[in-house]
Amino acid sequence: MTQERFSDETLMAFADGELPPEEREAVERALENDPALGERVAAFLDSRMRAQDALKPLLDEPVPEALAARVSGMIGEQSNVTAFRQRQAGAPARRWALPLAASVALVAGALGGYLAGISGPDTESGLRMADLSQPGIVTALNSVASGAETGLAAGERFRAIASYRDADNTLCREFEVDHADGSTVVAVACLPDGTWELQFTVVAQQNSSGYAPASSLEALDAYLSAVGAGAPMSAEEEEAALRSTD
Amino acid sequence: MADEFGQELIALLPNLRRFAISLCKSRDIADDLVQATCEKALANRGSYQPGTRMDAWLFRIMRNAWIDRTRRQRTEGVQTDIDDAHFLIGQDGAAATEARLVLNETARAIAALPDEQREVLLLVSVEALSYKEAATVLDVPIGTVMSRLARARKKIMDEVGIEGPAERSGDKKGIAK
Repeated sequence: MTQERFSDETLMAFADGELPPEEREAVERALENDPALGERVAAFLDSRMRAQDALKPLLDEPVPEALAARVSGMIGEQSNVTAFRQRQAGAPARRWALPLAASVALVAGALGGYLAGISGPDTESGLRMADLSQPGIVTALNSVASGAETGLAAGERFRAIASYRDADNTLCREFEVDHADGSTVVAVACLPDGTWELQFTVVAQQNSSGYAPASSLEALDAYLSAVGAGAPMSAEEEEAALRSTD
Repeated sequence: MADEFGQELIALLPNLRRFAISLCKSRDIADDLVQATCEKALANRGSYQPGTRMDAWLFRIMRNAWIDRTRRQRTEGVQTDIDDAHFLIGQDGAAATEARLVLNETARAIAALPDEQREVLLLVSVEALSYKEAATVLDVPIGTVMSRLARARKKIMDEVGIEGPAERSGDKKGIAK
């Protein structure tokens, strides 16, 4: 009879609120004068409730301390070293890590505090360096939290990657600037005495023929270990450090 | 300091563990699986789309990790020790009240389901994923989700004696109404 008009799947979907409106209305109309149909729907509702109730005790079981501790440990470790770890793993985990191609074009600067002296984009060689005289960069260095980004003038994007202190306890920040031409500059700037100084830049060009973000950033990793960079700061530490730059 | 992602991951540990227990049928192995899942989730956090259900994303990672593991074990010829149908029942040895017996009856029925029916029941009926979300987690069409889920629930109804169609009305299996 009417029972045969609706499959178990249909009635179950009705009970679960998964039926498209038209079919739902058809079931509702049929329910009005078919008690047996109502029982079938009720049985599906009931089975869901029972499954929930039966497995509730599992949810209430305390998570074993050792497990919770290990997971917390992994999370803590990652929030300290997010930026560098992910790169070393070569995981294309963050959107911005993807287009960095293997063409490490130039490593400039070094420990000596080289800086705002670099003038504008080096268009002759086709490379564009990060330049602290670029409008907005210093403001961004002072304010943008790692993981966040902000627009600069002329369609360029500034992205803060991580903050850390070097061996001399100087605040340093790793950041990236996307240029309109698709190239990305990875840079490190430090703040030894109230003025940001560019310490390191590397240009990673976008490359449609595959990517190798990990290798393109080897130079950066080498640099960071050479200057004795500490572990990247947590969000809270960074916030406090940036606040004190004002 | 755990960020938002980390906090949510911690908050979902009980749910992850529950799904793991239902997959592995063993608490010890389940805890390993939860840990492996969290590791993978943290390593691939960039592939999580904010605004979607994080539990569904984690369940998918977990299930794939479990499939990898069982595949490897099969080739190594290692057998998982399966604690028959009791793995879903809490170990607290609580007093056998009638309500608890009925719960256990359902839990046993769930434990006895074929794996592919149990996982879909858990995802949809217990964790409240939509059919579509469950289909994504399990990597099967929605129609498959629905037929497995319907079969699982019919079996529970049979086992615990839920009255379904009218013709079953005289056939109560120990459910006090």
